[in-house]
Amino acid sequence: MLLRLLPWLAAAWLMAIGIYGMITSRHYVHLIGCLSVVQSGTYVVLLAIGFVWHAGPPIFYDHPPGTPAVDPVMQALVLTDVVVGAAVSALLLALALQLHKRRQTLDPEELEPVP
Amino acid sequence: MKYRRALRYALSILALLVLAPAVVLVALHMPAFGGQLLAYGATVNAHVPSMRQATNVVTAIIFDVRGADTLGEEFIFAAAITGLAVLLRGGRGEDASREPIHADGRQLPARSEAVALLIRWMLPATIAFSLYVMAHGQLTPGGGFQAGAMLASALLLLFLGDGYRSWRQVVPPVVMQLLEALGAVGCVAVGLLPMLLGAGFLENVLPQGQPKSLTGGGLIPLFNVAVGMAITGGFVNALVEFLEETRVPKEGDS
Repeated sequence: MLLRLLPWLAAAWLMAIGIYGMITSRHYVHLIGCLSVVQSGTYVVLLAIGFVWHAGPPIFYDHPPGTPAVDPVMQALVLTDVVVGAAVSALLLALALQLHKRRQTLDPEELEPVP
Repeated sequence: MKYRRALRYALSILALLVLAPAVVLVALHMPAFGGQLLAYGATVNAHVPSMRQATNVVTAIIFDVRGADTLGEEFIFAAAITGLAVLLRGGRGEDASREPIHADGRQLPARSEAVALLIRWMLPATIAFSLYVMAHGQLTPGGGFQAGAMLASALLLLFLGDGYRSWRQVVPPVVMQLLEALGAVGCVAVGLLPMLLGAGFLENVLPQGQPKSLTGGGLIPLFNVAVGMAITGGFVNALVEFLEETRVPKEGDS
């Protein structure tokens, strides 16, 4: 039973600590890191949905098509997730760099509204 | 300062209160872990290997079954890298420098020969492996996205081993910008190619080739290579833009 719940618990834990970090973050680079942690939770969720006991990878190179395999759609979604995540992290870090250049701070609570 | 933090927490709790019921509702209706394959995945697993002569079903989904989504994903990536370049150049200007960073009164450390030698061994091997992963995308685990990220990291090894100047000489940013653009154009061209043959956008009408061969899969290897080029160019451009942030261009640099 615990083994069946473990992937969901791991995903929930990753998302919870990521969201907690984002809410309490005092530095935008730290906040972007927390966003990546939340996103790791989504990888675990997707892979856990696609998992099937006693099934191989959905790659039929050395075992013939028709042998049990896990869900390839979820794995394709995780790949999309990873690529978009990397690109978005890069963009957010560039935003943080620009913010630091203009306002000399990366603390969300010290930023004043633009007059 | 204090009220701002209170406001932030209050808004976060409000957002969580709105989202939490939805999460609980979804969690209660999740399929059992490790049980049955979902219908879409089972159908794809049953039919795609024989229809496409592609043994890696994940790649077949990305570049064929859901090819239009991948086109969108590729352009999300291109848009993010373009946005990054616009943001950073907006603050810094268009000038670029080939010279390594220099702070007054601080010597540049000499490059370690052990590191340089190791990189010269590892670099060709890493490039060859990434090209292998790209070429075998439809057969074994891999594909254009993975290969592009690996190739970009392989090129960054040159920076580690031979320093910034050599890196910029061997991997000129303008070539990488062209590579990214050509890759993005290639993705669209791969979609338009079947239309010239009278089929739909991204419809896999090319000859499917032999199973377990590099040419198997029709459009899949072409799309794969186009995405690999775009991702390589995009990642190297992102690295160049971030590295440019650390240096001050002098007059006459190119």
